[in-house]
Amino acid sequence: MQKSKFLPKGRKDRTMVLVDIRETKSAKASDIFLQVKPGKDFELITILRALIKDQHISDAQIEETGMTRAVLDDLVHRMKSCKFGCMFFGMGLSMTRGKHMNSAALLTLAAEMNAYTKFVAMPMRGHGNVTGADVIMRWQTGYPFGITFNRGYPRYNPGEFSTVDVLVRGDTDAAFIIGADPGATMPKPAIDHLARIPTIVLDPHVTHTSKLARVHITTAPAGIAAPGTAYRMDEIPMPLKPALKSPYPTDEEVVRRIREAIETKPFWMPEDSEQMILAQV
Amino acid sequence: MLRITGGKVYDPANGINGEIRDLYVQDGRLAASGTGGRTIDATGMIIFPGGVDVHTHVAGGAMNFARAMTPEDHRRTKAFIRTKSRRSGLGGMAPTTFATGYLYAGMGFTTVNEAAVPVLSARHTHEELADIPIVDKSTLTLMANNEIMLNLLENGEYERAKNVMAWYLWAAKSYGVKAVNPGGVTAWKWGKDAKQLTDSIEGYSTLTPGHIITSLARMCDELQLPHPVHLHCNNLGAPGNISTTLATLEHLEGHRAHIAHSQYHAYGGDDWDTMRSNTAELAEYFNTHKNVTTDAGAVLFGDTVTITADGPWQHLLYKLTGRKWGNLDVENETGCGIVPYTYRRTNLVNAVQWAAGLELLLLIEDPWQVFLSTDHPNGGCFWRYPEIIELLMCADHRKECLKQLPDKIMSRIKLPEIDREYTLYDVATAMSAGPARALGLKNKGNLKVGCDADIVIYEEDDSVVQMFSHPRYVIKAGEVVIEDGDIRETPQGREYIVKPNHDPSTDEFIQPLFEDCYTMSFENYPVELERVEGADVRECGEGT
Amino acid sequence: MSITLKLKEAPVVPLEAEVLSPSHLADLSHAEICELRLYHGKRQMRVDDFFNVEGERSDQVEIHGDLHRVRLLGRGMDRGHLTIHGSVGMHLGAHMKGGRIDVHGNAGDWIGAEMKNGFIHVHGNGGGQIGGGYRGSLRGMKNGTIIVDGTAGLEIGLRMRRGTIVVGGIVKDFCGLQMKGGTIVLQSGAEIRTGAWMNRGTIISLVPLQLMPTFQLSCYYNPTFLNVYSRYLKTLGINLPSNAQDGSWARYYGDCSVPGKGEILIWNPHAT
Repeated sequence: MQKSKFLPKGRKDRTMVLVDIRETKSAKASDIFLQVKPGKDFELITILRALIKDQHISDAQIEETGMTRAVLDDLVHRMKSCKFGCMFFGMGLSMTRGKHMNSAALLTLAAEMNAYTKFVAMPMRGHGNVTGADVIMRWQTGYPFGITFNRGYPRYNPGEFSTVDVLVRGDTDAAFIIGADPGATMPKPAIDHLARIPTIVLDPHVTHTSKLARVHITTAPAGIAAPGTAYRMDEIPMPLKPALKSPYPTDEEVVRRIREAIETKPFWMPEDSEQMILAQV
Repeated sequence: MLRITGGKVYDPANGINGEIRDLYVQDGRLAASGTGGRTIDATGMIIFPGGVDVHTHVAGGAMNFARAMTPEDHRRTKAFIRTKSRRSGLGGMAPTTFATGYLYAGMGFTTVNEAAVPVLSARHTHEELADIPIVDKSTLTLMANNEIMLNLLENGEYERAKNVMAWYLWAAKSYGVKAVNPGGVTAWKWGKDAKQLTDSIEGYSTLTPGHIITSLARMCDELQLPHPVHLHCNNLGAPGNISTTLATLEHLEGHRAHIAHSQYHAYGGDDWDTMRSNTAELAEYFNTHKNVTTDAGAVLFGDTVTITADGPWQHLLYKLTGRKWGNLDVENETGCGIVPYTYRRTNLVNAVQWAAGLELLLLIEDPWQVFLSTDHPNGGCFWRYPEIIELLMCADHRKECLKQLPDKIMSRIKLPEIDREYTLYDVATAMSAGPARALGLKNKGNLKVGCDADIVIYEEDDSVVQMFSHPRYVIKAGEVVIEDGDIRETPQGREYIVKPNHDPSTDEFIQPLFEDCYTMSFENYPVELERVEGADVRECGEGT
Repeated sequence: MSITLKLKEAPVVPLEAEVLSPSHLADLSHAEICELRLYHGKRQMRVDDFFNVEGERSDQVEIHGDLHRVRLLGRGMDRGHLTIHGSVGMHLGAHMKGGRIDVHGNAGDWIGAEMKNGFIHVHGNGGGQIGGGYRGSLRGMKNGTIIVDGTAGLEIGLRMRRGTIVVGGIVKDFCGLQMKGGTIVLQSGAEIRTGAWMNRGTIISLVPLQLMPTFQLSCYYNPTFLNVYSRYLKTLGINLPSNAQDGSWARYYGDCSVPGKGEILIWNPHAT
């Protein structure tokens, strides 16, 4: 691990704490491994929020999370006395029971730790350019995901407009899947619905979703044969410089051509629609 | 050819004060004469050069983070509907990119200066700017907390640092230098701050904020940048910070500078209970020193979101208010803090802030030195600028507003004693001609033949707010973009960039320093010119 | 006189029908009601494309049919009575200011979200986020009463500020999340994490609950306010035990992690 101006001994100057429900290979690389009981992440983080504020929590309540008071007292002490703390969290936290509240709990803990020392937290995003999609959605629509444009302006409601929920409820009558494979990861009702409706897939590979789609178009892989920008996990934009040529069109080319074809049809909003409204739905 | 006939023209750059004149536009510029084409009959109307916002936050990582934090504001604000030729968007405290262009243009503003961009994420800022239609843009790059810069300054390597600054400006494809809380944002990486100019900076041994300020100001002048160092002073928002601000001005040693949102830096008193406005002292300095300009950073009552690179200040605001808080750390360079906030009349501090912003605009005598701004969105949203114009033009209205403030603060502010009213000529200077000149954009804020045809035409109205909120016509680069409240065209704007001359060996010099502390490859750091939409490059510095 | 709407065409994708609210319909003629705009996905349709319409100019509105895909019914209403015979979709009575809604069926998520006042009674099951604040909003319902006879989902009463929510069946996780005030009555208890991050407010449960580790037991008691409150609830058909001879309430305060001053009262019947 890199040595730096302020941490001249590199790894030795850093303390890594790993929290997981089971011991993984990463545990060997860590200094402290905390095995939290499955389904108790939210409780553990909430306890830490209370402990850093010197609130009373009983031994029994701590032990329910798989921790002991001694371990948590030590952790809180280390957190408060470090110079710069960073919490990274992944889908093991954000996808288990509690979902977004687990992430919210960790982010709130990081915010509250700033009363004592410098602390930040960062989600470890999924593969592909998830961060890029999030960043661009936000600047163009104000919202990161779970968006509908059916009224002509962006509206946001996770659970109502997010993909998995829309598919599970069967709230859509067509699907356009670009660079993703819901047919491999989503619950069965969602997959069944994708198979039922006209589904179009753009992907460099023939995916699970492609197999149940109506149309699959092979496209050039981004970063390898297609240019663009990818946003790193910490939202730093990196230019993509393709090294190879591909016989296939880029996703961008395909989407543009589809859009041009749609533009020959009458526009979907009536001619007399207002340019701007003051009261959203 | 576009002819605009019979309007009352206010063109302070050329001393034209309400004369009835015809204007001719050809190929995007003002022309001497012409026939044919379209004629706009502007009889009885008022004509200004297009507005120039000298200090605003509209694009990039910080603004985008603010968008994520305020879905509740997105839901309650105005929404632009998609059309065949126009994108949808949302207004509010943290407007989306397309909406930002429509809202600025809708108000007659045609040039905006994005005031804070980290080099590391400049590519992101340029991508967002490409999605802001109509208006022309420029950006300022954050320099006062960059580790490489500060290391060089601490080691006394001034010439090297100057070359590195020039290198940074071109790498970021930027227009000028921004300094925010010099040394303080670096200290925030340790959870600390640097409030006084003589304070030590955490992580450094001899470097002080004062030293950084003097060096940056000198460098900007020596590189002959069109806009001087743009400075957000140390100790923002704190009672008694007038002394820090005056000390900062001393440290400029006569070099040019633009002091950002000076309202936040003009307080007397010792603590929140005794906080008062000391704008008179600051205005006096501006009135006796012509090397400095400022923008007001005025406050308007109501909801907004504060976004600034001043990380420590935002953490304090979070602790004081318990509102939502977002904090971004940009490795080796800077950071930002975001707190949605509400300015209230009943809050004594907010009441003093509201008065202070107006006082600066009224007490600084030369309208070429003080410009209209709210440090959008910090003091208030940019689409509320007409409310400030009304307060500047109508002393009676001001007095009515003062009556609504708590009695307790009357002894702490100067506003009740001020009778000055802005004329239309003053307004045109403060919102267009002045900022254009300070930014060194010679073709903006100016209706002389050959200048850019960015023109706004208002219908006279007894209500100043109504008049300035709803221009009858807005013309950008010779095209009528807004007419009768409708968006007619959404052309792409230009982006102004400087290419300061610097020692060609700077590349080799920076590379190892960069690779030592950054986590990306050196060749990916500079922004490629092709990624900047409508780039307009201007060389400067010795030998140009 | 009332207005009756009968669903004649099942929507294929969600149908957004915020126009179907008593406040909106009260002053409209039959023809005007028929031509009101509904959103079927992105397509703008007429009310009579989906409903058979009888009646006009009334704030007594009845809607019949399987409306589980119909959203935003009664949104923002401030008067009148909306009765639905069938199940409904999301956002029932969201932003409501007054009047009354009865659903003889189930309802989706966001029942009475951010409502200011009014009365909603879902005689079947409800979804999640009842009386809640939409994502990012600092507050949920400001006042009003929501009763769901059946079960309900996640985050009931999310950030509510005031008002009453009563649920007959069991509710899911995070009931009372970040509550700012108001009262939630759980007749069949909840799953986990009830009262998480509560600031203020009262959650009353007739059966034992699994609580967050940041709640502490303060006492067993029979508070006077509950006698008064249960008399009010009785008028709505809800029975709360309040007789000291039958048992007492265990009072838990929290959430200490905030730190909050909320309370959770759990009925503790005396051994017989």
